[in-house]
Amino acid sequence: MRETLTPRERFGLLVIDEKPDRCNIIPLVTSHAAEIARMKLKKYYTNGEAMARAQIAAIEEYGHDAISIFSEVGIIAEAMGSDFDYPDDDLPVIKRPALTKKNIEDIKIPVPKRDKRLPVYLEAIGYAYQSLGDKVPILAYVPAPFTTGMMLSDPKTFLIQTIRDPDHIKKIMEKSLQAAIEFCYDIIDAGALPIIVDPLASSSVVSPKAYKNFALPYERALIDFLHRYDLDIILHICGNTEPILDLLLETGADLVSLDQVDLSLAIEKLSKRMRIIGNFDTSKIAFSSPEEIMEEVKNMVKRGIKSKKGYIASTGCEVPIKTPPENVRTFINAAKEVGWYWE
Amino acid sequence: MFEDLKPKKINLTEWSHQFRKISDQIIKKYKYYGNQDWGIYLSPLATFMVYGARQLKRLKFDNSFAALRLWGFVFNESERLFRAKQVGKKVIATMGDLGTIPVIVMSFPDCIPFYPECIWWTPFFNESFILLDMATKLGAPEPACFSRAALAAFYKKAYFPKPDLIFASTGASCDDYSCIMQLIEGLGYNPIWIEIPFRRKSRSYFVADDYEHTKWGIDYPKRFETYLMSEYEKVWQNMVEFTDINNRNYLAKSIKNANRLRKLVENIKKLSYEAELAPFPGLELMVIEFGNLYGYADFDEWTDIIEMVYETISERVQKGEGVLNPDALPIAWVTPSPDPYLLNLVEDLGCRIVATEYVINQALVEIEEDIEPFQALARSFLNASLIGSTEQRVRRIIEGVEHGRILGVLITNMLGCSHCAMETRLIQQMLSKVPVLSIDVPAPFGITEQLKSRIAAFVETIRCARR
Repeated sequence: MRETLTPRERFGLLVIDEKPDRCNIIPLVTSHAAEIARMKLKKYYTNGEAMARAQIAAIEEYGHDAISIFSEVGIIAEAMGSDFDYPDDDLPVIKRPALTKKNIEDIKIPVPKRDKRLPVYLEAIGYAYQSLGDKVPILAYVPAPFTTGMMLSDPKTFLIQTIRDPDHIKKIMEKSLQAAIEFCYDIIDAGALPIIVDPLASSSVVSPKAYKNFALPYERALIDFLHRYDLDIILHICGNTEPILDLLLETGADLVSLDQVDLSLAIEKLSKRMRIIGNFDTSKIAFSSPEEIMEEVKNMVKRGIKSKKGYIASTGCEVPIKTPPENVRTFINAAKEVGWYWE
Repeated sequence: MFEDLKPKKINLTEWSHQFRKISDQIIKKYKYYGNQDWGIYLSPLATFMVYGARQLKRLKFDNSFAALRLWGFVFNESERLFRAKQVGKKVIATMGDLGTIPVIVMSFPDCIPFYPECIWWTPFFNESFILLDMATKLGAPEPACFSRAALAAFYKKAYFPKPDLIFASTGASCDDYSCIMQLIEGLGYNPIWIEIPFRRKSRSYFVADDYEHTKWGIDYPKRFETYLMSEYEKVWQNMVEFTDINNRNYLAKSIKNANRLRKLVENIKKLSYEAELAPFPGLELMVIEFGNLYGYADFDEWTDIIEMVYETISERVQKGEGVLNPDALPIAWVTPSPDPYLLNLVEDLGCRIVATEYVINQALVEIEEDIEPFQALARSFLNASLIGSTEQRVRRIIEGVEHGRILGVLITNMLGCSHCAMETRLIQQMLSKVPVLSIDVPAPFGITEQLKSRIAAFVETIRCARR
């Protein structure tokens, strides 16, 4: 079937509850884009123009429906004072969390245009927007307060404090929320739609109770802020989210990106109020054969497009960096074969 | 409540800063179609940039709350039309006549008129060739007027929903648009065609015709009025058939609503153009003028916005405040520009727009309320500059020049628009007493330094002439 719409037009229809020509296809091609552009990872995550060029190269290679400005979830924590190592061929690795050096009261809200690698994202957005912004939506991934909070702390201490010192955790959350709001503010001004990512709030990491008490209220607060802009907000939580599916409705997110969840169950529980994004297994996209990917993606998309408020065919999490391009192409081709709404 | 700051033009980033001061309560207060769940439209300009309106990054806007409402509402139109369909309203495309048929359509409950050809601004706001290139592929030649974007929009079905009915005007309408409409018909749409007569000026050769004149002094052959009334009757009957409603009292009410807006806009123009300092920017004033056509698909809310704009302008005029330099040179603008940036640019270079001839004056005059409604609509339409002689079209501009209110005239032509090509030279000749600059509006994102220099030279010429 012939594509009638550009990715931007397709996404625009989705967010106003209209069926586009076919479903949006947005595998989470993030740092994998550096591979497509044959670029050192360090260059990708430290240079905004390079990040944008890699993303544009990926769009040209695969023909998917959005640019993803993202490298890793420590970006805000880094700007708030956590130290990272920056390997040439791998993503930044946390070395020393900020709260092991100073108190929460002494941590400053970063200035996104100035501090650490936040300007890299903003520059990448600006470059991508100028290059392809009329045709392709630009999505910028923003770590949610819970994830940032954990990247500010020693993770073990942080998790223990959720039980022993919840007030302290809430202080961390408040500050992380403010930082995320400031970052989103500049992201919007640069032309991208913020996606809230909260991988460390998944049930693979914390209990549903901890999610409800410490992650959800701040996801909701951030989403409320973004709703002031009348933007449609994506919440991405990778890992297992089946135990918190009902709670996701309380976040107010307009689109929810899921990973290790039964897609039919997610559609049943969420699709009256949320558009569903997901959720192809990322280990399969990295390691399965193209034939297996073709069949499984088709099955997934056939179920996904039945979702009432709309569906985006995607991977459950980021496409692994070293995924064979053939596999990503197969994912997209499979979704393009069966994901049609228009006759 | 958000309190307006000292009037000035600000950019998108500055608007985002101001927007942070606006409370959630206020954001939720303004809704289209009065819908509490999805009717929000009060967004900063950055929101629309995120969704692809790239030119907003380069434009400057008025900093009043009224202007925020205005822009939020205008940019929300596409979504509004889709939502209208989703909640069971009927979306009626009214094309080419510019201002009259929507008054009939709005007489029918839950029927929303809109002008698909107004999408000609979209390629410029988006700095994008997507619609224009698609129109070319669909058979509208590249040199055709930018209204060819409508052809691509009908094909793509992503900018407005499939209309429930389409009324399309032909005859003494814009001919490029008429051709485009015929191509749209070829896509499988079924427009109901309305013919518009050419308004002859001279009585002497057509002795068989009785002539009348409109309340605003335009002569026309009486039988054209009768003819237009029959065309409007055709529109009415189609609407009756479609909705199963037939109540002429609604038409009288619709005319009253249209007049309420038209009076407001007339007052806004008068206040703005006659004030010592320009109280509102030319770009916003152009958007306001075009709002008379159909209220951007929610006539009541738009009228409410325009009331707020009127209050803002009145207050500024009373306080002697303006958005442009006090020595800005008063000019007239002839033919609307599809590129909004040009209006910013001309003001930045030192001009102030004090008169316009945007070929929609039929939508600016009041409709008579004390005669038969279809006759009143016909008589208001017969004021249209698009359907008459060039001399009639520029008469008011010439008057402004004679009275010294207008020191220069800028004509923005559309490449390929035959109407522009034939008329511009004539207009230039008729306006020989002041500097006249005629420019071809380039394709999106195409304003060059050379074009800027030409406009700067035009401004300098006016300045020298004034000295």
